[in-house]
Amino acid sequence: MDKLLKVENLTTEFLTSEGLARAVDRFSFDIGHGETVGLVGESGCGKSVTALSIMRLVSDPPGRISGGSIFLEGKDLLSLTEKEMRKIRGNEIAIVFQEPLSSLNPVFTCGEQIREAIALHQKMGRKQSREKAVEMLRLVKIPDPGNRYFSYPHQMSGGMRQRVMIAMALSCQPKLLIADEPSTALDVSVQSQIMELLSDLRDAMSMSILLITHDLSVVAQMAERVIIMYAGTAVEEASVKEIFSDPGHPYTEGLLASIPRLNARVERLSVIPGNVPDPLNLPSGCRFSDRCPKREERCFAKEPPMFVAGKGHFVRCWLSEGQER
Amino acid sequence: MKETIKRSYWSSGWDRFRKNPMGMAGAVIVVSLYLIALFAPVIAPGDPVDHGDLPSMRHLPPGGSHLLGTDKFGRDVLTRLLYGSRISLVIGFIAVAISVLIGTIVGAVAGYAGGIVDSVIMRIVDALMAIPRLFLLLTCIALFSRSIWLIIFLLGATSWMATVRLVRAQLLTIKEQDFVVAAEALGAGKRRIILKHLIPNTLTVIIISATLRIGGIILAEAALSFLGLGVPPPTPSWGQMVFEGREVLLGAWWVSTFPGLAIIITVIGYNLLGDGLRDAFDPVQFS
Repeated sequence: MDKLLKVENLTTEFLTSEGLARAVDRFSFDIGHGETVGLVGESGCGKSVTALSIMRLVSDPPGRISGGSIFLEGKDLLSLTEKEMRKIRGNEIAIVFQEPLSSLNPVFTCGEQIREAIALHQKMGRKQSREKAVEMLRLVKIPDPGNRYFSYPHQMSGGMRQRVMIAMALSCQPKLLIADEPSTALDVSVQSQIMELLSDLRDAMSMSILLITHDLSVVAQMAERVIIMYAGTAVEEASVKEIFSDPGHPYTEGLLASIPRLNARVERLSVIPGNVPDPLNLPSGCRFSDRCPKREERCFAKEPPMFVAGKGHFVRCWLSEGQER
Repeated sequence: MKETIKRSYWSSGWDRFRKNPMGMAGAVIVVSLYLIALFAPVIAPGDPVDHGDLPSMRHLPPGGSHLLGTDKFGRDVLTRLLYGSRISLVIGFIAVAISVLIGTIVGAVAGYAGGIVDSVIMRIVDALMAIPRLFLLLTCIALFSRSIWLIIFLLGATSWMATVRLVRAQLLTIKEQDFVVAAEALGAGKRRIILKHLIPNTLTVIIISATLRIGGIILAEAALSFLGLGVPPPTPSWGQMVFEGREVLLGAWWVSTFPGLAIIITVIGYNLLGDGLRDAFDPVQFS
């Protein structure tokens, strides 16, 4: 079947005072219709820049999409004009950001902001779009939506605000929702409510979700497929089941080992030593080589390609050497 | 994170404002001035341009039927003072409105566009700020006519540069906020983002600065009138009244003193109001 979104060799660079930093480096992945894909990685690995690149919202300057292509149902987004792209944003691809307070305009009511999102892409009268906005508030399970329409963002709790953001994002029934750490800024009990809401709405509206997170447990709850991102590119891609049962990349293993478990008694949680490498100063060869517990001589010499480790399971590591993707 | 603040930005700001005696004093002064200007024909004891029996009514001291005395044409100073508030307030209000309008649009464009557009606009603003304002006003008035509308326009057109800087500086911080990216992600265009998301968020700062600036504009008009280039007589204007009384300052002190006091009170009133508004509504001040 044709993929909904196909990203090929996406490269996004930022001009910094020290040189050109590649935040996303020849990153390829795809998302099928109705599929939820988790994009997992540490802070600074390029997850959010990938999301902004798909929306073509990387601020230029200093950022620039310097290579690759992004296809939405066969349409090359990178070749569209800004005006054509505006019709895609919010209409076919929508995004929910991490920080729900700062993502809402403080001087307008929540309802008004949802109404605006609707009016941007759908021709309808003021009254009609207002009714639709109330309906969206009801859809994201905000109690008393008729009155909540008139609430300002600062009058709502974090979870409610994120619901409003979701209502705005979904108001035009996008085919793809990019959820950029939608629950990170919320407390744990609200987190699971938001994730539950998202998966309910996904099923109801049959959309695809690109779920960006650094939390593998969130991915396990929602996604079908996982892409592990490290220093700007994919290091492993597999179904959720396989990522947990049979991780192929030492980085994935490290991520899994750092999740606290209820059934095991450990003194300390395991951590991956070091940090994501500076994109201006990537290690030679494999980009994980300087932190990898299983590194070998050859890891420093040449960067591994994606190797096939099973059906739909790809690993960028010399230890899984075999057929190339 | 603090839990839900129940009241809106405006009503909590109003609560802060109400507790500030200086700001409230300013508000009372300004509101009373506008009421006086509005009801001048009702409360004034006489006609502002009607002169009495000359020379017997010339320079009558305060008291009796002329509470604040009369000027050299035998006109009632109090009446002229009340009517003069109209000129000062109208000039202050419209001139500031013009300057705020130009300043906000130019500043918003500079701040949002950034880059070369921003640099060009800001250098032009710098250049305009370097022109001595009073000199420019005098030249224009000498070249054209002494009409009140020309004076209002000139005062407005020469004072928008400060608003540009203010609005631009505000926009530079606001445009980096997530909700602007969020609006772009929903497919909003540039014009919509400037009008709906950026300018409304700078509104408080604009209102505050406008209030503080009205005092300066009133002073500028008074200065022009004092130089004899303000509103043409016999229309009463405070600056002009001060000007007319300067020759007889020692003999008939009331002719200059009362309009001078009126200017001082008005400017103080606006400045107190502006300070109060800033303390109550400027996010930087209370956060």
